[in-house]
Amino acid sequence: MDKLTVLLGQSGLANLGIGQLTMIIIGLVLLYLAINKRFEPLLLLPIGFGAILVNIPGAGMYAEPIYAADGHLEAAGGLLYYVYSVGIESGVFPLLIFMGVGAMTDFGPMLANPKTLFLGAAAQFGIFGTIIGAVWMSSMGWMDFSLADAAAIGIIGGADGPTSIFVASQLAPDLLGAIAVAAYSYMALVPLIQPPIMRALTTKAERKITMTQLRVVSKREKIVFPLMVLVLVAMFLPSAAPLLGMFCFGNLMKESGVVERLSDTAQNALMNIVTIFLGLAVGSKLSADAFLNVETLGILVLGLAAFCVGTATGVLMAKLMNLMSKTPINPLIGSAGVSAVPMAARVSNKVGLENNNQNFLLMHAMGPNVAGVIGSAVAAGVLLSYLG
Amino acid sequence: MSELLTEGFSLLIMGMGTVFVFLTVLVIGTTLMSRVINRFFGQPEPEPRGKRRPAAAEDLSELAAVAAAVKAVHGH
Repeated sequence: MDKLTVLLGQSGLANLGIGQLTMIIIGLVLLYLAINKRFEPLLLLPIGFGAILVNIPGAGMYAEPIYAADGHLEAAGGLLYYVYSVGIESGVFPLLIFMGVGAMTDFGPMLANPKTLFLGAAAQFGIFGTIIGAVWMSSMGWMDFSLADAAAIGIIGGADGPTSIFVASQLAPDLLGAIAVAAYSYMALVPLIQPPIMRALTTKAERKITMTQLRVVSKREKIVFPLMVLVLVAMFLPSAAPLLGMFCFGNLMKESGVVERLSDTAQNALMNIVTIFLGLAVGSKLSADAFLNVETLGILVLGLAAFCVGTATGVLMAKLMNLMSKTPINPLIGSAGVSAVPMAARVSNKVGLENNNQNFLLMHAMGPNVAGVIGSAVAAGVLLSYLG
Repeated sequence: MSELLTEGFSLLIMGMGTVFVFLTVLVIGTTLMSRVINRFFGQPEPEPRGKRRPAAAEDLSELAAVAAAVKAVHGH
């Protein structure tokens, strides 16, 4: 009878706190969004499941290993603890993902029209504008964000999952779970968030602008480009070198055409493996004490604002460039500067087709889209060197 | 508290400044690079393109031949 009491005393039901129960429900909601609504399922499914695993009372999935005084291991830690410290605390997983993203990126449209890089730069205002929003909330006494916290929240506006996770893991590890969930949820919502802003800021005539056909980009240019980015990063902004270095490495593997096996592994097998563990590890940060507070609400609001501001400044920059340059630019491609590859470019294309069903903007929007990836990595570098 | 805001604004100015300067350098670098490559290595480029197009046409004609053969064998 005593043993039965012990067993019952160790059961999940006996130990389940209200916080853990709430977090398990939140994990289930994330699973629902991933499975039924197809919200970035590749990430939200592992994140949701990780959130459930880490909140099972007594399972110790996130337990730290315990060492005795003489150094021998008394209790091995939990799986999620190891995955988190090996992959995210060290910054390894986001960088490996970035390598894979590099191997999947075609810089062709951007090389054909390098000016679109400015659109990718303008959209990064979403990041820095949101930082102001976060410190303003702090100064009003509503939230308790330090400048490092604010920077980690702002990077949601980069609309780039691995960059957000990389920066948050370095600057505000406590907020990482909420930041990653916000970043991936809003990326899934880009087709809902962006079009109203794009329509509000442009006239019908502007949306109908057709752009000149992109020139053919030679293979040599595509091979030299990642090397050039690497040299420029090394010279001017070494703090962005981890992100952009891995990105350029992946891209060079793809464009050089001589290591197809490696390029294939980087974009498929390795990327999939890392994504599984990245998702689980992010989910493991969704514990009740880190997530169930007013700050999470602030992060969700600020993250949405970051996407909106980035979209708006991208579109406005495109309008400005239209005034100054001779070649016409459809302002709808400006919104693709927020990154969120390739979703944001598809949104530009879709809104363009609504107004002129012969006007295919997809390739034109891919330019600012990949420029946005570079822009947010540069912004991340600035944040890390300023606050790191 | 207002100190935090001031720091936020200096981060905004510094950050956007760096992003724009860096990407401007990148635009200039990319444009120069493309010009240099197309001027000095421009000649061999059209050649592979010329080869590729007939190859694509061959592929299509092969596809058409296969499709025709399938139709011939299976009727309609």
